[in-house]
Amino acid sequence: MSDSQESFVPNPVLSGLVGICPLIAAANSLAEGVMYGLGTALCALAIGASVPLLKDRLPDRLRAPATLCLSAFFALCYAFALRLYSPTIAAGLWIYIPLLAVSSLSLLVLRRTSSKGRFGTDGRSRLVDIAVEALLFLLTATVVGGLRELIGLGTLSIPTQGPSPARFFFTEWAPLRILVSPAGGFIFLGFLVAVYRTIIRATRRRRT
Amino acid sequence: MSYIGIVVASVFVSNALLTYGLGTMPGGNLEDAGSFASALALAFVNTLASALLWLIHGFLLAPLGLDSLDILFFALIAVPLLKFVARTASISKSRILARTGNRAEELIVGSLVFGIALLSSRSGYSLSEAVVASAASGLGYWLVEFLLESLRERLELSDLPYPFRGAPAMLISTGLMALAFMGIDAAFIKGLVS
Repeated sequence: MSDSQESFVPNPVLSGLVGICPLIAAANSLAEGVMYGLGTALCALAIGASVPLLKDRLPDRLRAPATLCLSAFFALCYAFALRLYSPTIAAGLWIYIPLLAVSSLSLLVLRRTSSKGRFGTDGRSRLVDIAVEALLFLLTATVVGGLRELIGLGTLSIPTQGPSPARFFFTEWAPLRILVSPAGGFIFLGFLVAVYRTIIRATRRRRT
Repeated sequence: MSYIGIVVASVFVSNALLTYGLGTMPGGNLEDAGSFASALALAFVNTLASALLWLIHGFLLAPLGLDSLDILFFALIAVPLLKFVARTASISKSRILARTGNRAEELIVGSLVFGIALLSSRSGYSLSEAVVASAASGLGYWLVEFLLESLRERLELSDLPYPFRGAPAMLISTGLMALAFMGIDAAFIKGLVS
């Protein structure tokens, strides 16, 4: 692998297709995309920070179930916090908030397999590695949610505190309303992955 | 709603993959997708997971007003139990049971099993209805997986531009299939079989 490829941090959603179920079905507005992405990022960071603590205290066979329980615990904490911050967004994300337990774990598994040791192998470097992937996930969830809402409905909702998010109307003309449905989510993500691949390919060609 | 209505709604109207996006793995390994073992594993894991979560929810959490803790208890109690059952099946001498067990073990810690269990325990079904709905959801997922596997084989032979090869083409095809499934009217089917 060339140096240019090694320094490149792959997007966990667009290259690894991690945690895309809620992005397809639930993240059909900017507010939901941001809050789901933030939840996954925070859970992944919290698990990444606490797993090394379990390593010496638990036998090998108990480590995987303990990590899953820990992940479910962090997802639960985030669900309570989100319900207090914005009940409407929490209701919109529905069963996908508990599913953070699984998607944040997938993010960590992807990091372990695809980007091992990019920033080093000690504890702090591993956390930086997870933080970069988590930030990329948050960014992608924001872009997916925002664009689907903007193109599909002509609005943008900001995740403000209170009973419902603030919504800005841009246009009444929304010819691609299908984008806010799960079917539109699949199609939109398919095109987004294709655009991402084109950009990455062009960037690599320019570097070499 | 009648049991037939629940089955039809779970397979076509509220399909786990096409409506809820659960278990989305575009370009993933679907070699075993259309097999009988895969269908058995999907129905078995989802039924058991949903029944366990329903029991935990109904008899432990709801009486104490702790409904929101379902995911934590699911991870604590149901997942180890499911893993144990799947592992026991995977070391069985029967070939079909061993394959079912192996596939079930792959599925357990995934959004599909967690999602279907949460859906059936939170949608106000009785235990028997939840069991039927989750088994049907598993079979609905298997049906779509089977159809997508056939599509993937055809797409691999097509001369697609590089950016669309693999996962993007599968995602767009899944979206188009979801659009077709959206044409099945929920109210009409519920009225037909109620």
